[in-house]
Amino acid sequence: MNHTHQGTSVFARSAALASSIFGILAVAGAALTAPATAASAADEVVIGAPLPLNGPLAGFGSFDQWGYQHAVDEVNKAGGVTIDGKKRMVKLIIRDDKTDPNVSASNVETLISRDHVTALLGSCTPMLVNAGALVAERHKVPMVTGCDPLGAFTSVRKWNWVWDIFFDERELASLAFKTMKDLGIKTDNKMAIMADNGPDGLIVGGKVWPMLAKENGYEVVANGSFPVDNTQFTSIVAQAKNAGADVVMSDFVTPPAVALRKQMKEGGYSPKLMVIEKGAEPVQFAEALGPLAEGILVGGYWDPSFPYPGAADLEKQFEKDTGKSGSQHIADSYAAAKVLLDAIEAAGSTDPAKINAAIAKTDKTYVVGPVKFSPEHTSKLELVEDQWQNGKSVVVWPANRATGKFEFPIPN
Amino acid sequence: MSGAVLVSNLISGVLLGGDLALTALGLSLVLGVMRVVNLAHGEFLIGGAYLGMFMLQLFGIDPLVGLLLIGLILAVLAYPIQKFLLSPLIEKGVEAPMMTAFGLSVILQNVYTILFSGDTRSIERSYATEPLVIGSVTVAQIYVIGFAISVVIIVLVHLLVSRTGFGRDLRAAATDPTAAGIMGVDVKRVYALTFALGAACAGVGGTLIGLAFSFTPTSGSGYLLTNFAIMVLGGLGNIFGTLIGGMLLGFLQSLGGVTLGDGYRELVGLVIFLGVLAVKPQGLLSRGRI
Repeated sequence: MNHTHQGTSVFARSAALASSIFGILAVAGAALTAPATAASAADEVVIGAPLPLNGPLAGFGSFDQWGYQHAVDEVNKAGGVTIDGKKRMVKLIIRDDKTDPNVSASNVETLISRDHVTALLGSCTPMLVNAGALVAERHKVPMVTGCDPLGAFTSVRKWNWVWDIFFDERELASLAFKTMKDLGIKTDNKMAIMADNGPDGLIVGGKVWPMLAKENGYEVVANGSFPVDNTQFTSIVAQAKNAGADVVMSDFVTPPAVALRKQMKEGGYSPKLMVIEKGAEPVQFAEALGPLAEGILVGGYWDPSFPYPGAADLEKQFEKDTGKSGSQHIADSYAAAKVLLDAIEAAGSTDPAKINAAIAKTDKTYVVGPVKFSPEHTSKLELVEDQWQNGKSVVVWPANRATGKFEFPIPN
Repeated sequence: MSGAVLVSNLISGVLLGGDLALTALGLSLVLGVMRVVNLAHGEFLIGGAYLGMFMLQLFGIDPLVGLLLIGLILAVLAYPIQKFLLSPLIEKGVEAPMMTAFGLSVILQNVYTILFSGDTRSIERSYATEPLVIGSVTVAQIYVIGFAISVVIIVLVHLLVSRTGFGRDLRAAATDPTAAGIMGVDVKRVYALTFALGAACAGVGGTLIGLAFSFTPTSGSGYLLTNFAIMVLGGLGNIFGTLIGGMLLGFLQSLGGVTLGDGYRELVGLVIFLGVLAVKPQGLLSRGRI
């Protein structure tokens, strides 16, 4: 081809233009996929939420969406919420944040300014929840959220309008260590740590796990921090295999979690115990991996077997509605929405300050357990250790919550 | 770090880079011949991964057996896109087709989400997760398989471009579309077939990626960036250069991975991409093009 120069200039111009219009078109794309919602009817109470329905966290978003919607549907079925002595239906508007914190923040702006929401529900994972929560805080619109580990939530700022119902990541980080100790698991005490560089991954993988490893007599032979969407782990897998680490502790969202597990097998690396926090939780993890999911541990904060009102029924309803297996994310999202709707009912008003004050007074047992907020606006959930066994998530620790026997080591 | 780990990593990187070169070839052909930056190329790649997965799940066809069919389906789907959507815009400059391709990319991501949900997927085959151990060196078997398939297809594409009537028309249209048209070449048809060929390469490569990794409806954009880097390294429209560019990028990314950590692989790739673009925008291996 003789048009090298012409092709070059075309390519160079194209590359520059591509980057410059990338942002514009991304916004256009977001608008394209946003729900076409007209202004709400005057007699409806409108609440809204940004959720990751696309991107790496879509596996969480679909469950959260169902949890939020189910809570709203239940309230509407019972006649709605009482505002100024009159029953009003609740309308839920969900906007797809595409696993992008910037889109999540702009979605919350839109929900407040265009959709005129009375109150908000959160997205999922710290990077998305916190991005939207800061906007809610600035506009003084109450938001109740799950899916945001408490340390990552409280580290952002002192919250006045946002409330978080979830677990403490420092407790989650210690969960596997407690499980191994309590069950008397014997390994070579060599550990590989891998985590993403999101807010919770940096705390868990960068600080808490290395500290706990030392305290519990483990030698950390490999430790890596990765971009959230990284799917290449060849080097650290080879390093961990070469060092003979029996234990792998990891913290990733689902796409990298699946890629990591596959690459460990591809690289001929078979640790005896493997923890994948976060990403191994949704059922898509087990579906994508098949037999390779067997034996993987992941911290859990809810199971249908928990002795809380409506726990078993919630799972059954999800399966009936969707034909799919549930996830613990249906529970914290459902509980967050119930807390908000109860607060609106208790406030008897759409006044944000009154709803916020009512949320602060929450003291009730929900499907995830007792919810009562601390001065830091957090309500902590208890934790259990889950393990994938034959495609099902089984609670294996502690003994009083166990629904199955701990499987060790991971099948080769 | 032991020598075996280093060698295993570098070989894995070269093999994976060669695998990705197949998808980059599709992008390179379209840009080299049509001068269109196909920003929907990553979505064609992911389309191949979904096709491979559903062919296995619904019809029991092994993705490797169905590779040619996957390529054909992608080509058939892409042909009308070029003919009716992009072709009318090509004479209006670079911007219009590129923006259209980006719009198509967003639409395809949403179509995948609507049809298949946003869930993380992977093509589950036992051979795709087995290691290949030679002495103290371990590489993923699927990387070797993918590399071999990639090389075969790249050679076939080279033969198609250099030894056939279509290839002659393609080279003529790439060199000077106006003169080619005067000489009787149906340039629009060549463009549409080139676009279809590019999509087929992306689809076949995407199936191999689906076997080795995980994917979601939006995973394509990450691979598009890698493909750009390979294309720039290999030289615009240079078929064998693309293969060498892929292997070189894989090698350098692996070197970055073992020295800086796996998390810096993408960074290494992008730095190389921008560096080469700044110094030699026509590509590092720009001689000997189509």
